[in-house]
Amino acid sequence: MEGIFQYAPAIAVLPFVSFLVALIAGEYLPKKGALAGILATGGSLTLSLVVLVAVVSGHTYNETLYTFVDASETFSLTFGLLIDPLSAAMLVIVSLIATLVHVFSLGYMNDEGEIGLPRYYAGLGLFTASMLAFVFSDNLLMAFIFFELVGLCSYLLIGFWFREDAPPSAAKKAFLVTRFGDYFFLIGVVAVLVTFGTAQFAGSEGFPALAEEALVAGETFHGLGAETWLSIIGLLVLGGVLGKSAQFPFHTWLPDAMEGPTPVSALIHAATMVAAGVYLVARMYGFYALLPTVLAIIAFIGGFTALFAATMGVVKDEIKQVLAYSTISQYGYIMLALGAGGYVAAFFHLTTHAVFKALLFLGAGSVIIAMHHNENMWDMGGLKDPMRVTYLTFLAGSLALAGIFPFSGFWSKDEVLFETLVHALGGSPLLLGAYVMGLGAVFLTGFYTIRMVMLTFHGEPRSDTAENPHGVRWNVKFPLSVLGVLAVVAGFLNPVPIQKLTGAQVDFLHAFLDSAPEATLTNAGHYSDLTAEYAGYGTGYIGGEVMTLLLGAGIALGLALVGAGSAFFLYRGAEPTAHTEKLGRVRTLLMHNYYQDEYQVWLAEGLTVRVARAADTFDQGVIDGLVNGASSVSLFAGDRLRRIQTGVVTNYAAFIALSLVILVALFAVLGGWI
Amino acid sequence: MELNNWLLLVPTGAFVLAALALFVIDSIDPDSTNGTLLSAVTTAGAVAAAMVSGGLLLSGAADPGVELFDGQLVVDGMSLIFTFIFGSVTALVALGSHDYIRELPHKAEYYLLVLLAATGMSLMASANSLAVVFVSLELASLPSYALVAYLKTNRGSVEAALKYFLIGALSSSILVYGISLVYASTGSLLLTDIAAEAGTAASDYPGVLGIGILMVAGGVAFKTASVPFHFWAPEAYEGAPAPVSAFLSSASKAAGFVVAFRVFVVAFPIGSVVASIDWVLLFQVLAVLTMTLGNFAAATQENVKRMLAYSSIGHAGYVLIGLAALTGVGGGTESIVLGAGMLHLLVYGFMNTGAFLFVALVERWEIGRTFEDYYGLAREAPIACVAMTVFMFSLAGLPVGGGFLSKYYLFAGAVGAGVWWLALIGAFNSVISLFYYSRVVKAMWIEEPSEPIEIERYPTALYAAIVIAAVVTVVLLPGLAVFDTAAFDAAAALL
Repeated sequence: MEGIFQYAPAIAVLPFVSFLVALIAGEYLPKKGALAGILATGGSLTLSLVVLVAVVSGHTYNETLYTFVDASETFSLTFGLLIDPLSAAMLVIVSLIATLVHVFSLGYMNDEGEIGLPRYYAGLGLFTASMLAFVFSDNLLMAFIFFELVGLCSYLLIGFWFREDAPPSAAKKAFLVTRFGDYFFLIGVVAVLVTFGTAQFAGSEGFPALAEEALVAGETFHGLGAETWLSIIGLLVLGGVLGKSAQFPFHTWLPDAMEGPTPVSALIHAATMVAAGVYLVARMYGFYALLPTVLAIIAFIGGFTALFAATMGVVKDEIKQVLAYSTISQYGYIMLALGAGGYVAAFFHLTTHAVFKALLFLGAGSVIIAMHHNENMWDMGGLKDPMRVTYLTFLAGSLALAGIFPFSGFWSKDEVLFETLVHALGGSPLLLGAYVMGLGAVFLTGFYTIRMVMLTFHGEPRSDTAENPHGVRWNVKFPLSVLGVLAVVAGFLNPVPIQKLTGAQVDFLHAFLDSAPEATLTNAGHYSDLTAEYAGYGTGYIGGEVMTLLLGAGIALGLALVGAGSAFFLYRGAEPTAHTEKLGRVRTLLMHNYYQDEYQVWLAEGLTVRVARAADTFDQGVIDGLVNGASSVSLFAGDRLRRIQTGVVTNYAAFIALSLVILVALFAVLGGWI
Repeated sequence: MELNNWLLLVPTGAFVLAALALFVIDSIDPDSTNGTLLSAVTTAGAVAAAMVSGGLLLSGAADPGVELFDGQLVVDGMSLIFTFIFGSVTALVALGSHDYIRELPHKAEYYLLVLLAATGMSLMASANSLAVVFVSLELASLPSYALVAYLKTNRGSVEAALKYFLIGALSSSILVYGISLVYASTGSLLLTDIAAEAGTAASDYPGVLGIGILMVAGGVAFKTASVPFHFWAPEAYEGAPAPVSAFLSSASKAAGFVVAFRVFVVAFPIGSVVASIDWVLLFQVLAVLTMTLGNFAAATQENVKRMLAYSSIGHAGYVLIGLAALTGVGGGTESIVLGAGMLHLLVYGFMNTGAFLFVALVERWEIGRTFEDYYGLAREAPIACVAMTVFMFSLAGLPVGGGFLSKYYLFAGAVGAGVWWLALIGAFNSVISLFYYSRVVKAMWIEEPSEPIEIERYPTALYAAIVIAAVVTVVLLPGLAVFDTAAFDAAAALL
């Protein structure tokens, strides 16, 4: 079984081959590269599943495969594979979503007669390949390289319709905003390499383990205490995470990224681009678990982003915009869980979110096909009967997103909140603040999700296209059905409440993530030991564990139901009214996304451009002026010096004699001979 | 004398033997017009000298310095490095001259003079007493005067030689008078004995010793073409046949420096003579004047050969940093900066010789000597122009050749020795030099010729010399590692 790991690199190589095929021969293929992509990602999925089975049966793999800079005195730069429960599970998620997105694209792109499809499928292939390689990276530098490739591919795909105005601009925005965060990440990578001499994630030679040793030994770096220095590194890397995972204040690129084709949105939101950020934190959790300050920052950014993005989702009129803000909000939960010491909860929510968010995007894509690419929910309505499959699956995804029992989102979100609450009660009261923000977001999520469903599918059709929606084929319905089923059942991967109530060992995901061998130091148990020891995350309960569990789940579910119910109440009926208009100036604020874009544009145009202009003026005026001045002075002086060379030898003799006399006089005075 | 010690004289002997061979050939067949044999013998002798001295250097056979003839001569790391430079420059010049003087008479005399001058230079590298210094310096100088006048029907050549000779005579008289004053105050001509007496002499006769040292510096400055004894250089280099210019500006300059390094470091330890004269300060003044004047004057020249002549003065200024930064900070910095001076001369021996040989090639084609005449040359002679581009950029200190590293060592050493301002002035001068060196490159590659250039034949030997020089210049970028330890060790042994 272990032999399968030899073939693990193929998981990323296959989609890369499909990238090459689509790029080179796409024009001549019947489906313009789609079939190659489906085959490749399907192959990756199969291989990932086999690898997953191998990992479940207790094997892991941590090997350096290629050294591209071999430096004996400093540190080597390498490529390698780390396959442990975390990366094996993530490989399955990514390849599954990628495969379904490829299938769906047949309906969304090919059937709609789009042009430039080889470019599209090449982009999808490279995107998938980069993400898969990022997932199984065994060191931070390799992860960084593929992290950047993921960013590049999302730029290419968001700007796929580059002849229109909005997509290229959105693509640039996504690229620049994430790049801003990645700038800090890059410094973080260098800092890790310089500090530890290695960037390996796992094992006792990995940098998390070395960081722990440094912390225990009380080493100092550059005059700073170990914890301070490590926290600085952690925050630098976190810059890249916040950018990619669209966390406040770097979330602004993600709603704009909706300009890309909808399957690409599904891929970005569910499994690749946005997931890369939080995955990185999970991947190097052994490092973050040592740093209570950074954990608290992560938790608060997560909780705040969850609430903040949810408020904006409430007022949006376009279906994909609502979904975009829900993604930001849900990744906020994952960050909250990571910051609150809920490693398993975070990955659990990442998994269920990948499923139901891919489902929702593909469902939205189906609606958009039906609506002839009109995305405004106020032009829809009454689609539930003509689009039965889409409606049912979309509803399943929505209920999962809203966190309604027993859909998958309920279980994972509940665990996130439960972990936060328990650790907050167990001696980290600060986390209570993040917990409350998370609860607030639960209510809002229930509200905007059901509002979206009601406006899209219920009531009477509000436009001609909604009267006669365009039909969709199997290639749309099939991915929806697969994901719809998963959205219902994925929660039973790790139903902690059932385990606590009945005592049955059903927390499969927890057991799986905890099954990594001790030597890799990447198992969940090790992480909870670390957070308990270094971050002081104890556990505390209100009236016992079960009581706390029921209380937390009850509050969360109650809030979700209240939110969902009020949306249902407000938007039911044949002709729903635009209730959000009543919010008045608050709505204006929310529609403008709290003016986040405005200040970021000001940062770019008002500040950066001005500083750049000033620097340019300085360069042109002072530096160039100095250089030009120096050159004209030298040419002038050179011209004068030429004239000393008269060509008359007696002059030379005189000059030499005179110079000698001057030198003698000078040194006579200096040497005190006279 | 032991056999081993004779072995150490083989490099000098190779020059002498090759010269004797030429005498024999010339007496057998005085009217020969076949230059190939003469050129081959000269090249072979020079290559042998370079190979043997390089081998002795890298094998460490002469460490830490072997005195011969009761200390009149010394063979050590530094003398071997410089003999290697003389050997390689002489070989390149002899190879390149084959085509340059193809149609001219008195070929045997030409090669003979080159070899005898090289002999004098290699003796200068080993000279361990002021008497030997003077005699070997004259042995190097007198053939040089004749070589400059080799084109005896050419007015410029003859006039340049006469000026060179007159300035040389003046400088020699300054040097020999300086030597007599040093002898008067210390009572010896052997460098080591002078060093022993220098402290006493500096307190008893500060004026006599001071003027003596100053005048010795003047005599040496003539040989290295340093300001203010540089006046002969632009005209001699311009008037002389271009291979002779290459020889004088590379080898003869290096010979002047080896004498300066040995005499000042060994005979006049700055700690002993500082009460009389602070020659480090003297060389700081000379270095600044020399590099600034050389580069500024080079920037305004219209004639490529004359530009190279002034740039050669500028490079003498850089190498003077090797003496000007001996500020006594210790810690190995001094050996680095002195060694860097040697390394720079080594690289310079190839890149500057190559540049002058390129000028020789263009003269041979009778295209002209100004920048304008070089317009569009790269289209007709791409290989030679690539080589010339390498020479120009390496001379400017860009990292295409060894010139980058040796200059870097010099400036870094100056900073390490606490004379950062010297490095700053050097860097500023390098910027100016980039301007005029890139003018050549621009003329060859970018500008359009006013009228089409016609080249009839491509002389093989001259081409070979240029290409070899270019290849070695590039190889010395990584390859300087072979020599740098040897140079730093040689400098450390001297200090």
